Parts: sequence; structure tokens; C-alpha cells
Amino acid sequence: MIRKEAVEIVSKTLKNQLVVAANGYISRDLFEVSDKPSNFYMIGSMGLASSIGLGLALKNPRKRIYVFDGDGNILMNLGSLVTIGSLKPKNLVHIIYDNGVHESTGSQPTNSKNIRLDIIAKASNYKVFRTRSKHHLNSLLKKIKKLVGPILILVIIEKGTNVSRRINLEPIEIKNRFMHSLKRI
Amino acid sequence: MREAIQREIFNYLTKKGIENFIGVPDSTMKYFVDQGLKKKRVIIATREEEAIGIAVGMSLSKSPSLVFMQNAGFANSLSTIASLVQLYNIPVIFLISWRGHLKNDAPEHTKIGRIQPTLLKSLSLKSKILSENGWVKECSWALNKFREGQCCALIIKRDFLD
Repeated sequence: MIRKEAVEIVSKTLKNQLVVAANGYISRDLFEVSDKPSNFYMIGSMGLASSIGLGLALKNPRKRIYVFDGDGNILMNLGSLVTIGSLKPKNLVHIIYDNGVHESTGSQPTNSKNIRLDIIAKASNYKVFRTRSKHHLNSLLKKIKKLVGPILILVIIEKGTNVSRRINLEPIEIKNRFMHSLKRI
Repeated sequence: MREAIQREIFNYLTKKGIENFIGVPDSTMKYFVDQGLKKKRVIIATREEEAIGIAVGMSLSKSPSLVFMQNAGFANSLSTIASLVQLYNIPVIFLISWRGHLKNDAPEHTKIGRIQPTLLKSLSLKSKILSENGWVKECSWALNKFREGQCCALIIKRDFLD
């Protein structure tokens, strides 16, 4: 499974739920497969998707917040797992698409293959799941509906070849429509 | 800045609607942070950029936030302020200490302390220095900026050496 396929599976299941998508190809893939006002696309400030998701989760306890993260992204802000694990937001679902490389900068390796991100998250009070198949990912997405967060799904993916197009929305527009859907959902 | 004033500043900002105080602590503002911890309004983050990310999530939820940090942490945060807070035009108040403006300060404070005003200016991050006699005015200035939807910074000077 490549990232775009995984992003599509998750995004279709979530319908109009709130998503914070990490910068780089994750936001681009999400924009291309399923652009919605309830998606907050990050442009720059790498590493902070999970922190923005935490702030949202704490202030909207009745809404589920989904974070679409990458291995390079979370490795830049590992402390975020500690803060999330300390505050234990029940409504936060953290999905890490792990291809083991910084794909958008030329596929240089990250160190995610040398360590166990899922075990670090587990030690930080997350409920943790790991998958590499589409079928299993679909069943996990059903399973977590009834579980209390923070939840992590580590999706092991293959490096892709196609690049999704750039997000052609202004950052302020991304913010405004996200805030609007936050009010309505 | 005296303990009583630091505590009063915290209470004042809370009374005026700031709901969340997120950051990395500094001895320069330890009574301010302590007051927030007592009132259970503080989240201690692992790094300043993380604190800013959390504040942005809260701000998107229309819950007003202040991010506190040392000036070394401010230097860490330049990219996040530029490409998250300012790029998306998200209102946040920063409280940044100013270590290294005194002579004979520790070497790790001196360089950043010297370039801090330039860094603020380069970012076009508007700021005011908190004073013992004028802090109400300075805080009101920040709250007004915040209400206009802008980010800004309050600077707290370190007036002691340790």
C-alpha cells in the first residue's frame, strides 16, 4: 500500500470528521483524494500536526480529532507523544503513515525503521495498532470507533512514485473553512 | 520583576479572557508560571514549537491562548512563528523573557539577548516590554492586538543574575 491509498481509505471512512494533516506529501495526498473544509492542511512548520491536534482535542472534547502524521514529522516532535500521553485526550486519533523516508525532499531515510514508534507511543499511554494491509486498516478503523483515546495507528506504507499536486488554497482560507466546519460538526 | 506583580499579571490576563497558558518555563517568569500552575491553567510543553502548535489548535477552537518561553526558546521558534502563526494569521500572545540584556550575564544568555530585538523586528512581531509601573497598559495593548486577530509579544526582562 502506498501513502495515497492509505490516506484515501482513512479519509473515506472519516467522512466529514476533523483532520489535521502534516505538511509535505501527506497534506497533498489528502487534498487530492478528498478535499474537505474539515481538513486542516499544514504548509510548513514540520512536526507540529500532533500538537495542533492536541490543542483541538482538549478544547473540543465531544469531537474526534484525527491527526495525519508522517514518520519524519513525528520524529521531529517526539516530545509530543509525551505531552499527549500525559494529558490523555480521549478524542484524539493519531495516524502515522510510515514510509521510512523523507519522500518530499528526495527520499532520504528517516530512522523510523531502526526503532519502534509504536512501542514509544504505547509507553506514552496510547492505545496502539500497527498495520501494513488495506484490509486490516479498514477493520482497525471500525474497531477504534468504540475505543477511548489517545489512539495511534501506525500504517506501514511503501514509498510512492507519483506526486500529488500542490494545495492551491491560501493558508487563511484553509483556516477559515476549517474553523467554520469545527463549529458545525 | 517582583513576585506580586508577576502573579497579578497572570490574574489580569485570565480575567481579561486568556484561557490557556502553554510553554516552557523560565526563572525570569517563575511566579507568573507558578500562579498559572496553581490555577490549573498551564500546560508545560517539551519544546516551544510544540507549545505554539498546541496554542494554535486551541486558537482554532476560539479559546484564547498565551505561549510563554525563554528567549532561547524564542530563537528555536522563529520558523513556527513565521510559517504557522503568521502564515495562517492566528492570534496568540507570546510572553518571552529577555535574558542577557544585563552586563556580565551568563555566556549562553548574552548572544541571544543581544540579537533578540533584531529577531523580533525581522519577524515583524510587535512587542512591548513589561514594566512594574505600566504593566496594565502593556497587557491591554497585547489584549487589543489579540482581539484584532493579531499575534504579538510581551517581553519580561531578567533583572537579576544567578
